Amino acid sequence: MKLNRSKDWWLAHARREGDATIGAGALSLDAKPEPADQTSPIEAEETRIAFGRFVSLMRRRSGLTVERLAAAADLDASEILVIENGAHSTPEPRTVFRLAQTFQVSQKRLMQLAGLSAAKDSVVRQEAVRFAARSESVEKLTKEENAALETFVAILSEQDAKKA
Amino acid sequence: MATKRTMTLNLTDAEMETLEGLSQQKDISKTAVIRQALRLYQAIDARVQRGEKLLIENDSTKEKAELMLL
Amino acid sequence: MTAEISTIHLLEVASNSGVEAELRDAIEDAQLTDWRTHWLPALRTVHEQLIKRGVPRNQWPQSSHWDWPAKVAQVEGLLAFKGFCVVCARVTQGLMRIDLNQIARESRQAGKPLVYVDYLEVAPWNRADLGQAPRYRGVGTALLAAAVVLSREEGFKGRIGLHSLPQADRFYRDSCGMSDLGPDVAYHGLRYFEMTSEQADAFLPEEDEK
Repeated sequence: MKLNRSKDWWLAHARREGDATIGAGALSLDAKPEPADQTSPIEAEETRIAFGRFVSLMRRRSGLTVERLAAAADLDASEILVIENGAHSTPEPRTVFRLAQTFQVSQKRLMQLAGLSAAKDSVVRQEAVRFAARSESVEKLTKEENAALETFVAILSEQDAKKA
Repeated sequence: MATKRTMTLNLTDAEMETLEGLSQQKDISKTAVIRQALRLYQAIDARVQRGEKLLIENDSTKEKAELMLL
Repeated sequence: MTAEISTIHLLEVASNSGVEAELRDAIEDAQLTDWRTHWLPALRTVHEQLIKRGVPRNQWPQSSHWDWPAKVAQVEGLLAFKGFCVVCARVTQGLMRIDLNQIARESRQAGKPLVYVDYLEVAPWNRADLGQAPRYRGVGTALLAAAVVLSREEGFKGRIGLHSLPQADRFYRDSCGMSDLGPDVAYHGLRYFEMTSEQADAFLPEEDEK
């Protein structure tokens, strides 16, 4: 199907859009449902962003491409890409399990971060927000990113000794 | 869009009348009616194959009846 | 079957000048890749900023959750559904999925088939409601024009219908001259708009499309 109009027609109509955001269709119907025990959508979103950022930085710190990480963790490269790019779907439990193993952090904590289980306390979530705020997406890990990552890894590696 | 192929349809008088009636009513050509029918049939069939049901609801009584599609 | 490409023009906001772009009559892998690698990260950045600013979630811009690969997969192989996209500077700028199985509700054309816009979304950087100046204007218009042309090709005389994202209500009503049939309780309260044949002629006067 082809259509053909003058440049003038297109530009006149483009200007007429003004500041309107053009869109049509129902909202969020295909967003995967949140795990039943999530506290709130904002918190879910915050931790998911941090999860993607964490995976991305850990991968880059190890000097791995997405493909190499996928091979090392026995995962699909596409799923890693979706996670790193902050997609709104919840990752598969097996994926999080493999990533926790590969990055050597606590299973349980990474599951919380990925939105697969509710945190009994808010430590992971708070630290996730802090971590996300301190890290930027650039090619090489900056000193700041490294420091932020170190702090966060320490949190994720903590046993639940404090609460025992 | 792809090239089109031609098919000859053999319809009974009643079928032809139905086709003409729908064409007038819907303000589209007879060919367009057939194409709509095909699209609808395929879309509904796909959902039935997935395990969904096709229901017709009576707007006043809210009674539902299932349409069986093979 | 590869997509047919039409040359269109968008307004590049920064330079206030026209740029050439493509309207394609399919959503292909390249579009879904662009969605994953360009749209999602851009949306993530926006979300992070919203979180930082403490904006409550019910005030977040809508359509942030659409999963386009899912929307395409849902209707694969079905004749009734078609996809369109706009590409500029080699990146997908807008996506649209339409349904040919719907019929008109507006009194003047009730019961007649039309091209129904299931979903229409422009890339995050083209939206004015995400806190920055949009990069290109005209993407939504181009997709809407495509819907009208398709409607004519299918014999539906330019009739189209859609449920509007709230930010776009005024655009459809005033800029496109569509009929506003009001909020649809059966559809999240979104306003339902239709374009009649006459309105389509006013919006996009017919020309030889070759």
